Amino acid sequence: MIKIAIYGKGGIGKSTCTANLAAAFAMLGKRVIQIGCDPKADSTINLLGGIPVMPVMNYLREHDDEPDDINEISKIGFGNILCIETGGPTPGLGCAGRGIINTFSLLEELELFETYKPDVVLYDVLGDVVCGGFAAPIREGYASQVLIVTSGEKMALYAANNINSAVKNFEDRSYARVRGIIMNRRSVENEEEKVRAFADGAGLEIVADIPRSNDIIKYEDMGKTVIEGDPNCETAKCFFALAQRLIDEDNENE
Amino acid sequence: MKNATKIISCYSADTAGVCSALYELGGMVVVHDASGCNSTYSTHDEPRWYDKRSKIYISALTEMDAIMGNDKKLISDIVSAAADQNPAFIAVCGSPMPMMTGVDFGAVAQEIERRTGIFTFAVDINGTHNYLKGASDALLTIVEKYTQKTDRIKNGVNILGATPLDIPLNGNLNSIKNCLKDSGFEVIASMTMDCTLGDIKRSAAAEVNLVVSYSGIAAAEFMLREYNIPYVCGVPVGGEFSKILADSLKNVKEKAYPCSERQTAENGIYIIGEGISAGSLASAITLETGEKTRVVCPLDHNKDMLAQGDSDIYAEEDIEKLLVQNKPKAVIADPLYKFIVPKDIKFIDLPHFAFSGRCYERFMPNLADDTFIYTVRRKL
Repeated sequence: MIKIAIYGKGGIGKSTCTANLAAAFAMLGKRVIQIGCDPKADSTINLLGGIPVMPVMNYLREHDDEPDDINEISKIGFGNILCIETGGPTPGLGCAGRGIINTFSLLEELELFETYKPDVVLYDVLGDVVCGGFAAPIREGYASQVLIVTSGEKMALYAANNINSAVKNFEDRSYARVRGIIMNRRSVENEEEKVRAFADGAGLEIVADIPRSNDIIKYEDMGKTVIEGDPNCETAKCFFALAQRLIDEDNENE
Repeated sequence: MKNATKIISCYSADTAGVCSALYELGGMVVVHDASGCNSTYSTHDEPRWYDKRSKIYISALTEMDAIMGNDKKLISDIVSAAADQNPAFIAVCGSPMPMMTGVDFGAVAQEIERRTGIFTFAVDINGTHNYLKGASDALLTIVEKYTQKTDRIKNGVNILGATPLDIPLNGNLNSIKNCLKDSGFEVIASMTMDCTLGDIKRSAAAEVNLVVSYSGIAAAEFMLREYNIPYVCGVPVGGEFSKILADSLKNVKEKAYPCSERQTAENGIYIIGEGISAGSLASAITLETGEKTRVVCPLDHNKDMLAQGDSDIYAEEDIEKLLVQNKPKAVIADPLYKFIVPKDIKFIDLPHFAFSGRCYERFMPNLADDTFIYTVRRKL
């Protein structure tokens, strides 16, 4: 099973990259689950035609008891991708990290992986590895690889470096390892050189180079990924190439 | 405020269950919690604390440790204590504070084991469940790790799920063992009272397991799967039911629940408590007095443990409503339940350590003999 957690600075395009990668996997015949681990709960919206799924935290807020069935807290989206959002507490209150841990325990109790039997699970995680809750997706049994999304912007690279260091801190545990960088271009001057310099310094590989494209905005306005909107465009091809590469690596490892 | 206990007590927490199940086995138990909490798990919930030594520790988690996620301090403290104490194993478990900060106890245990070379495991608890879950998870891990296939001992039997939280230290365990011996059985391991790790290592030699509380079922299921040892659920109570239990132990092929093979009545005698012991007492009362009974089990259980008509409600207000509605002939329960039982219903005290701790310890009856049944007969 391919299990990937996607991290990166807030607003850098993690959800866009995750949803497009999920859609690409699905189009390549894989059974996919995408779990949004962000209180904003907007990770999967473009796999669902713009109509969001009920986040787990919202369900728990509105009901006395936990759900009995995974269908109560998930929705099937484009390419039969099972979409789940952890959601979070009321902004400014509570503990979002604890919300992620709680959601994962619930998914375990509902035997999500045993019943749905996915080929690919993608975790789209809020910003940085700020606390125990946001490291939950990289613990043993969840993601085994981390992809870091960054542009050539200084603060995005700074966050990428923090994330890489945080994951390295767990090297003596059976946690996920950083597989590489998704360069999500933002039309920054000398962008490729900057990202490559960071990648080389950190000993990481740039596994995908996503061009700056209006297609992404165009299809997101329609509640779609570019994979759904125009699978033949250049941006879509980049995601297909990344998905295929990860599938090939997984096959080799097996 | 549904499900909050406002009038009566609540049962001992999962943490106490872990400490109790592992108390006598020579391992080190570390609860990751604030300093001072050891008295909750070990003094208040552990009647053996003043008589038997055990390596139960609290990590003395501070606010800054919690904020900073200072796992390294926890790990190095345990590694250092293990070097001094040389325990047979190390168990690490949580409490509400590390639950909130998301401590990964599985990873912590792995690191300790790598550094000490001592078998280390995490028990997945956080202080928010009841004692049966903690005792069950801890016992299962120990049984999975230490039992091994061996030649059978004719009429060998293990007792599973015995902790002082359910089986009082008033000679009850000896009475259970004597009942088994009188029926021709040889007790190999009594998990985990009056028990060593060596006993557990030999326990797969048993021909059958007797499960005396819910906390023994997971381990019994494992031994059934792994070694084909069948199990019977029940506690010897009074002469008649003890005979039925002994027959069941001799004839069981896979699993049997004599504690739930009885008729219930909505207005009979209600027994509130742990499912297997309450069910066994209910069966014994019906056999010895002809009175119909009904068990109310507010604790962890499985569907086979309870008879049709028993109740598994656990909220204080629901139990109170049930009693008002059905007007049972009498209620048998821990004395602290008295405060939610209507005054016109007869109440018979049955102190339960996991519910009222030491408060009524000296009044705890030895259920294995007929004395308590006589008390019930007299009070009705």
